[in-house]
Amino acid sequence: MKTTLPRELPLVLALVLVFGLLALVAPEFFDRKPLMSRFAQEAPVLIVAAGTSLVIIVRQIDISVGSQFAVSGIVAGMLASYGAGVATCAAGALGAGLLMGAINGLCVATLRLPSIVVTLATMVIWREALRLTQQGQFINLPSGFQWFGLTLESGQMIQISAALALFSLLAWFASNVSAGRFIYAVGSDAEAARLSGIPPRITTFAAFVLLGGLCGIAAFMNALQTPQVDPKSGTGLEMKVIAASVVGGIAINGGRGRLWGAFLGLLLLTTISPALTYLHVEAYWEKAVQGSIILLAVIAETIRTRRV
Amino acid sequence: MRTALRPTLVRHEVILAAVLLIEWFYFYFTATSEKRGITFGFGALDSQFDLLRHSVEIGLLALAVTPIILTGGIDLSLGSTLGLCSIVFGKLWQDAGAPLWLAGLLTIVVGGLAGTINAGLIAKLRLPPLIVTLGTFSLFRGLAEALTRGTATYTGFPSSFLLLGQGRIAGLPTQGWLYLLVTIVIWLLIHRTVFGRTLRAIGFSSEGARYAGIPVNRRIAAVYVFAGIIAALAGIIYTSRLGQAKADAGTGYELYAITAVVLGGTSIFGGTGSVHGTILGVAAIAVLTKGLVYARQPQEVGGILTGALLLLALLASTFAKSTFYRTRTAKTLTAPPQPKLP
Repeated sequence: MKTTLPRELPLVLALVLVFGLLALVAPEFFDRKPLMSRFAQEAPVLIVAAGTSLVIIVRQIDISVGSQFAVSGIVAGMLASYGAGVATCAAGALGAGLLMGAINGLCVATLRLPSIVVTLATMVIWREALRLTQQGQFINLPSGFQWFGLTLESGQMIQISAALALFSLLAWFASNVSAGRFIYAVGSDAEAARLSGIPPRITTFAAFVLLGGLCGIAAFMNALQTPQVDPKSGTGLEMKVIAASVVGGIAINGGRGRLWGAFLGLLLLTTISPALTYLHVEAYWEKAVQGSIILLAVIAETIRTRRV
Repeated sequence: MRTALRPTLVRHEVILAAVLLIEWFYFYFTATSEKRGITFGFGALDSQFDLLRHSVEIGLLALAVTPIILTGGIDLSLGSTLGLCSIVFGKLWQDAGAPLWLAGLLTIVVGGLAGTINAGLIAKLRLPPLIVTLGTFSLFRGLAEALTRGTATYTGFPSSFLLLGQGRIAGLPTQGWLYLLVTIVIWLLIHRTVFGRTLRAIGFSSEGARYAGIPVNRRIAAVYVFAGIIAALAGIIYTSRLGQAKADAGTGYELYAITAVVLGGTSIFGGTGSVHGTILGVAAIAVLTKGLVYARQPQEVGGILTGALLLLALLASTFAKSTFYRTRTAKTLTAPPQPKLP
């Protein structure tokens, strides 16, 4: 089966359409300030989306990312409220994320349990444990914490560029480094990968740990954006990042898709709701439109592969 | 590892039933009090009925998703279907002025249509069920929000309708009878008909089922449509229990339902599982979470224990299977074909 068109083509066309329409009808959409704050808000999501894409490429799934995100954020917030510095908080969030990722990875790779059920269980366990300890209480951050104590504008700029840099690094890693190619190899055929000397279990484990760590980093970034840490943050994050990956052309059966596709997918999904407002469609249609985009993306994908 | 072999020693459902009994008696003896001859707490009849009322909607969704998981599929959209149907029912009755029976009937049709959308995409276009139902999970919830503009709720239902969710018939909560009826129908369908056996065959190997002459696509389509209809029924019961139709009805229920099904011993890869396992799974979760509330424990502990129980159940069934698998069939099934030397 030869395919000549890139798998992200329908997505690029949709993005061109949406942005073109916005430029014509509502040029104020491209105003600097609201656009910046919108992108800064999505910067942590982008990081999680990259990790989720890698886990999907290795032919697993993780629906516990929202809970990992919330727990890591609270860990960072608690450290900050005890007077720890920014670096310690970042390390704490990262460590918490890595640990939770390792637990998922152990269950899936070592004990060979199905990832959807394992992460369903850990999602519930982390979320409820957080509710038990926090009882819905927000954690107030010290005053110098928000945006590293910088102005809003430069803080947003730093976050957006940091997220883009990390994302580019991961995308480069996945497509150019041999360890990144292992992920594709295991995702497309674990047995063939094993026979060619790639350890499928370690690769799968590493993908989950990486995702956990990325959740930690994202949660830390998210905590910097507000004066308080919300224990309910990250609710529904798993659906959002899986949707971004799928819209971005990452095959749910593993082994295929590019990280930049997930970037474009997230861009489309997050542009849709402000776009609806600017185009004078009621905002209540947001979820319905997002759902339709997911369905259209998978339909477009099958049409593309079956046509050739 | 996909295998149709049953663990030899004890069936999963028997262990689960034992866990359920232990839970029930533990809470009966620790969380029940008596004052002047009246029982309070977990052991009181009212508490038991309350427990039943709260588990019926999730139980119905779990019953609906069991045949789907048996075929190797999954449905994340059932909670959203429940919400959409709740809104459609309220809107038909209050805004369109339809009589209750007609509103109910049309709501069931809407649920069937929602299931048909899933069925068409999954069975006709052969798209992965996880992604399709993730899409319709957003789509159906989004439609419910759009229909109500995010805020409107429908209340003021007549008391004859509220009887369904709050009243009793012959001593039992009304929806308990419906739950029993649906359970019996689905149990017979899965365990006593050819239709049910074909679902397992599809879950075990859809290609093999196709070669055996089973209309795989039609069967798969049927289970998703059926699930939509049951979710609509659950939506009507939800509306009646709360006396209110709202767009966020049933949020997260799909995950509880799937948890109950897996806890009940149905393999997430399809092929093996049982309806009575699902019922036991629903009951085990409901008794645990409600019992802890009566035992004055924080509500969250119930959630944590449910998650832990799910992991344990999964581990137990995997180990039971892999031990059996290794001793009996390892050589014949896992040895790679040796290349013949010329």
